Amino acid sequence: MGLLSKILRTGLVTEPLPAGDSEVVHLVREVDAESRRLFGRALGIREVDAGSCNGCEVEITGLMSPVYDSERFGFHFVASPRHADLLLVTGPVTRNMEVPLRKTYEATPAPKLVVAVGDCARSCGVFAGSYAVAGSVDSVIPVDVFVDGCPPEPAHILQGILTALRSGRP
Amino acid sequence: MRALFFLMVSGYATGAAASLVLGTGPLARWTSTLVAVVGAAAGLGLATGASMGGAAFSLEAPDLLASAGGLAFGLDGLGAVFLALTSLVAAPSALYGAGYSRAWDGRPVQRQAGFMLNLFLLSMSLVPLADGTLTFLLFWEGMSLSSYFLVMTEADRPEVSGAGQWYLGMTQMGLACLLGAFLLMQAGGPATFAHLRAAGAMLPAGTRDLVFVLALIGFGSKAGLIPLHVWLPRAHPAAPSHVSALMSGAMIKMGVYGLLRIGLDVLGGGPAWWGALVIGLGALSAVLGVLYALTEDDLKRLLAYSSVENIGVIVLGVGAAFLFQSLQMLPAAAFALAAALFHAVNHAAFKGLLFMGAGAVLHATGTRNMNRLGGLIRGMPWTAACFLLGSVAIAGLPPLNGFVSEWLLFQSLLPGIGAPSPLVAVLMVLALGMLALTAGLAAACFVKAFGITFLAIPRSPEAVAAHEADRSMRTGMIVLAAACLLLSVGSFVIFPRLSTVAAPLVGLPAPGPVVRAGLTLQTPDGLAQMSPVIVTVGLGLVVLVAWLAVKRFASRRPLRVGETWGCGRVVQTPRMEYTSTAFAEPLRRIFAEFYRPTEDVSIDFHPDSRYFVQSISYRSAILPWFDRYLYAPVIARIRFWSERVLTLQSGSVHAYLAYLVAALVLLLGWLVVTGQR
Repeated sequence: MGLLSKILRTGLVTEPLPAGDSEVVHLVREVDAESRRLFGRALGIREVDAGSCNGCEVEITGLMSPVYDSERFGFHFVASPRHADLLLVTGPVTRNMEVPLRKTYEATPAPKLVVAVGDCARSCGVFAGSYAVAGSVDSVIPVDVFVDGCPPEPAHILQGILTALRSGRP
Repeated sequence: MRALFFLMVSGYATGAAASLVLGTGPLARWTSTLVAVVGAAAGLGLATGASMGGAAFSLEAPDLLASAGGLAFGLDGLGAVFLALTSLVAAPSALYGAGYSRAWDGRPVQRQAGFMLNLFLLSMSLVPLADGTLTFLLFWEGMSLSSYFLVMTEADRPEVSGAGQWYLGMTQMGLACLLGAFLLMQAGGPATFAHLRAAGAMLPAGTRDLVFVLALIGFGSKAGLIPLHVWLPRAHPAAPSHVSALMSGAMIKMGVYGLLRIGLDVLGGGPAWWGALVIGLGALSAVLGVLYALTEDDLKRLLAYSSVENIGVIVLGVGAAFLFQSLQMLPAAAFALAAALFHAVNHAAFKGLLFMGAGAVLHATGTRNMNRLGGLIRGMPWTAACFLLGSVAIAGLPPLNGFVSEWLLFQSLLPGIGAPSPLVAVLMVLALGMLALTAGLAAACFVKAFGITFLAIPRSPEAVAAHEADRSMRTGMIVLAAACLLLSVGSFVIFPRLSTVAAPLVGLPAPGPVVRAGLTLQTPDGLAQMSPVIVTVGLGLVVLVAWLAVKRFASRRPLRVGETWGCGRVVQTPRMEYTSTAFAEPLRRIFAEFYRPTEDVSIDFHPDSRYFVQSISYRSAILPWFDRYLYAPVIARIRFWSERVLTLQSGSVHAYLAYLVAALVLLLGWLVVTGQR
């Protein structure tokens, strides 16, 4: 009884969507439409952390959070590159992750897209020149779109995914 | 008929003689093999003739062993089924054995093995042909002893002699029970089965019960019913593989034959508790057998436990026949019995095939431990294909024969739910549940057996170097693989024959319940039907259409071959693979109450820092219930009394003379007291 009455008394506590954010919803719907056009179904994303500081991961996790909740629009993170249409790669590629990143790319069935997220993915950021870093993402695998920012906002990541889908390369 | 009988006997006998006379080279090996194949073909012909309702075969040989009443042979429908099943495995096993035993060329063991193999085939073929107590027991014991010598073929390996002792102990214990049963049935006069049948009806109920229980123990120990199964997982890994195929494919079925011959034919069935007891033992063997098989890492031990499971399934059907007959549900009884007989024949085909496959693996790699195998499909594609087919059959998947007979067994148990007694109905529901659980676990078990052995990366250098079995071994496997498919597709012909055999045994006038409508098998009540032919053709069409579609539409796309996805690891080694133990782990957790697993992990750290692990060793065992709580106390008791008796045998001649004198004095004194002269 206590639980039920508590549910009734408390009501909704999630924050309402702020004014400008309906654009995000619009964006996600567009991603959904594009992925349907290209693949005929929802978009499967495999996230590869190639050596990032995890700042980008925090923002990517935001995509799945209650605010964006992207899965309801039919794009989801999958557990294996075998199921993926798109690779979301973060961080400078460390020497330890160079081969796994290449193997992940090879294991992803064509047609496939690669979106490199964050400044480090393009330029290795503050880690450039480190003995542990092999290079930028595009020095290891072909990249379709770079999303800049340290870290980029979820909305920017969505924009990057949309641009990749619209590039129509696959 | 008579000519076929003599051809069969002389084939096997010539084979035995050839092994003795022709030396230990390829000549002896191939001569004894080829005449054994001729003998098996004659046996199959004899059995087919008898089951097709040809002239009944009988042959009296009163001059042989005349002092004991002479030998008598006869073949009825029931015997014909078991003769056919034996001959079906005998020919491919002999062929396979010719290749398998090539390694023994030039050694005395070749002579012994060839001789014993033919003797084994001869006596095993004559067991279902025996028509009388003496003949039956003679060839029964011949079968047991020759198979004991075959198990001991490679007696120089340490584990073999222990296995032989277990096998001999269990089989002689069984023989003692059988002697008791036959002595109780003996009522003077000639001891043919026809006379025993007449005398069996006169026996008092208590004696009949005792005879049945003794026969159940005696034949159950040969069949490998739990708790009398302990010799199977020991003897099968020890025996050469074609012998395992014969023992598991044919010999353990003789236990089922004996149970049917004594219980249903001679005694004519009994009270309902006979059937309930047999069903209980069958269900126990089926479920525990497959549970033990699942956790086994030794390929041949796994197959041995799987034989325990399948014998359980067969005996479950036999028990249902006993129970239905006592409840006067005769069509249901005949149907259940026919389904059990069909599963016995099918099990002979696929278990023979699987043991041969395991033997080819053992021959090629020198190990039976699945955790050291893997990837063999590349080195030995024929063996892998045959083993896969056998696995699909034993897992009860369409379109092969295991599916057909398990489907029939399920259907045959269903009428029990409508039995007049609620107790019987509950028992049957439980039996159905056990059967379903067994079928599912068996599928998991053979996914493991095939997948771990033949797929993925080889786990040891021996597995990398594995070579394909030679032509004779391959031929043996292919014959049985073809038999698995034929028994399924031809079941609409074979099963009605079996039901004609089963009908008179449960007291139903032949030709038994109608179980056939064109190409379709039908239950006697007409509630269910299934056509193995249509299933096979349908599955074939699906595969064909899929193959054509792939060829038509996908072949234009570029094809990319990549390595197996292993989470992007830089190097993938066999140590990262799923092991046989790991595959069974989830089920071991689910059934932890039964397995009572003990785990022992010891980690060896670097002496300077606990952050660096040098080695990890993991050891895990399951509780051997029957060995520990049933056999260990019995063996300890026997040992205790043997040691007491041993004090009499002091080795001193004086003591022995004293025994003689004491015995003489006692006897004379007894004569004086009783006043006899």
